[in-house]
Amino acid sequence: MNTSGLNGVIQQAAALSDKSRLYLNNFKAWVQLDSSHLSDGRQLAVKYFTVAVILFFAQILFGLLAAMQFIFPGFLYEILDFSVNRMIHINAMVVWMLYGFIGCVYWFIEEESGTEIVGLKLGNIAFWVLTGAVTLVVLVYLLVQIGPGKDSSLWFINEGREYIEAPRWADIGIVVVMLIFFYNVVATFSKGKWSGIAGVLTLDLVALAGLYTAGMFYMTNISHDQYWWWWVIHLWVEATWEVLVGVIMAWSLMKLLAVRRKIVETWLYIEVALMFGSGILGLGHHYFWIGTPEYWLTVGGFFSALEPIPLVAMVVHAVYDSGAHAFKNGNHPALAWIIAQAFGNFFGAGVWGFMHTLPQINIFTHGTQWSASHGHLAFFGAYATINIAFFYLAIQQWRGNVWMGGGSQNAWRWKWALGLLNGGVLGMTIALLIAGYEQSFIERAVEGSTWGGYFTAQNHPSFQSAMVWRLLFGGMTLAGFILLVWDLLTIGKGETRKAPEIVEI
Amino acid sequence: MIEPVALQDFFITFFSSALIILAGASYALLFAWSKVNPNFRIKIAAYVSYAVLILSVVELTQAAHFQGYWLIISLAMVIGYFFAPIGIWHLCVKTHAKSTP
Repeated sequence: MNTSGLNGVIQQAAALSDKSRLYLNNFKAWVQLDSSHLSDGRQLAVKYFTVAVILFFAQILFGLLAAMQFIFPGFLYEILDFSVNRMIHINAMVVWMLYGFIGCVYWFIEEESGTEIVGLKLGNIAFWVLTGAVTLVVLVYLLVQIGPGKDSSLWFINEGREYIEAPRWADIGIVVVMLIFFYNVVATFSKGKWSGIAGVLTLDLVALAGLYTAGMFYMTNISHDQYWWWWVIHLWVEATWEVLVGVIMAWSLMKLLAVRRKIVETWLYIEVALMFGSGILGLGHHYFWIGTPEYWLTVGGFFSALEPIPLVAMVVHAVYDSGAHAFKNGNHPALAWIIAQAFGNFFGAGVWGFMHTLPQINIFTHGTQWSASHGHLAFFGAYATINIAFFYLAIQQWRGNVWMGGGSQNAWRWKWALGLLNGGVLGMTIALLIAGYEQSFIERAVEGSTWGGYFTAQNHPSFQSAMVWRLLFGGMTLAGFILLVWDLLTIGKGETRKAPEIVEI
Repeated sequence: MIEPVALQDFFITFFSSALIILAGASYALLFAWSKVNPNFRIKIAAYVSYAVLILSVVELTQAAHFQGYWLIISLAMVIGYFFAPIGIWHLCVKTHAKSTP
């Protein structure tokens, strides 16, 4: 081997490494975040938040690419196909939400249990393993886009199940990482003290981790396969994630508005009962047209009609609280995002869900852009918002519990980020609603779900203009995201006032 | 057995389904507000919302061809949306008992 050539490469690598270190140091000096304000457990939490934000960006980026391909079908054809963009768009969303949720739990677990995280070192290793695995999985998605479907591709490239395409090795890795996370939660509460929040969280994590295994085995009958696959997709999203968000929300309300523990825990139990009562058998609305017995039409229809009840409960409770107490707190962006969560959850999951969930209409809408419309508003409204609220809670502490209430410097940034992100997602939702209406009408009802009907619907002017609007509102969402990141990096910088002590109500 | 929605009833099905949830939430909101702020007009507005909900349920029942045991869903929505806010309000009062003025 040529020694001088090798030396040159080493020198270039060293120079690159120095340059990167310099940029990183300059960046750290610019953001002025002081990690000494955070415990070791919270430092682990912000690692999860950081990757969550990066994956949030990936979700928006690949979503925009896929949206462009609806308008310009030749765009990136055979370089980065629509199927790959869509897959990464959705996978990035699922994974960034999970990163956010895990970060939230690591954030509050020490305070809630009254002790340090038991397996912190293990937690850090699990974080790097998971992040490395996610990076590798995405790289393989990008580098091996097409190929034969063999056992080896299932193990190393793509498992092929929509939304949970990660290959089998990564599946096993995810389960191991989740078990470490579960161990950390249980061991920490066992060492410290248990609470109602801790109990609900632990039981929910058992369901969360257990349900994932339902998406890890194959059956030869596609109806049977889909039957179990929905256990992961529906029961995660409409049962265990909802409860996890309830836990995070309960803790946030104690910290943000100083609501009494007894109140939040009582309502957490009520919410769990309502969520599981309606959400578990609400699973039926996914079983409508996949070859399952006909009784699922009734079960799915009935329990889907019950699913908005927790949302109505939320409305009554919000009015009760606002009437009985004044909302005063030192973190306006976090509170604003929690309010956005209440509205987003209600409209996205409640209104948009019920509009097309009964089998009598779902026979036409199932799997059209209707579902995409519902998915965009519901995921953003119910889950993205609560994670963003928590990012603001975290950044406040990272800066040393500074004032982030009224009269903060550059408050326009978080307000515009809030407006652009919510406006962007709502705009995409409306555009997809129009496309879905046209699609279910022309493709499904008029043309009877034929290939001809599919292409007629795809080429209809109202569908095509809806796709243009979706792209424009996607751009608006990206603008909101950029502003959000800028705000998260700079909010509270130079602020000398401390956040006020909140008096329990 | 279900009978799919007829082509001409597409819009009314989506619209009445959305209106059920919106009217249900509006009734819940106004009902709770009338408890916080005892005002006759707010209470009337709450019942108007509930009337809209009933009309929407009737409309959906016809458009979606609910028959036989499917009518239980219509009945459950009419009864459930009326009593749920009342029950939840009582729960709020009980759970907040210590801090209620």
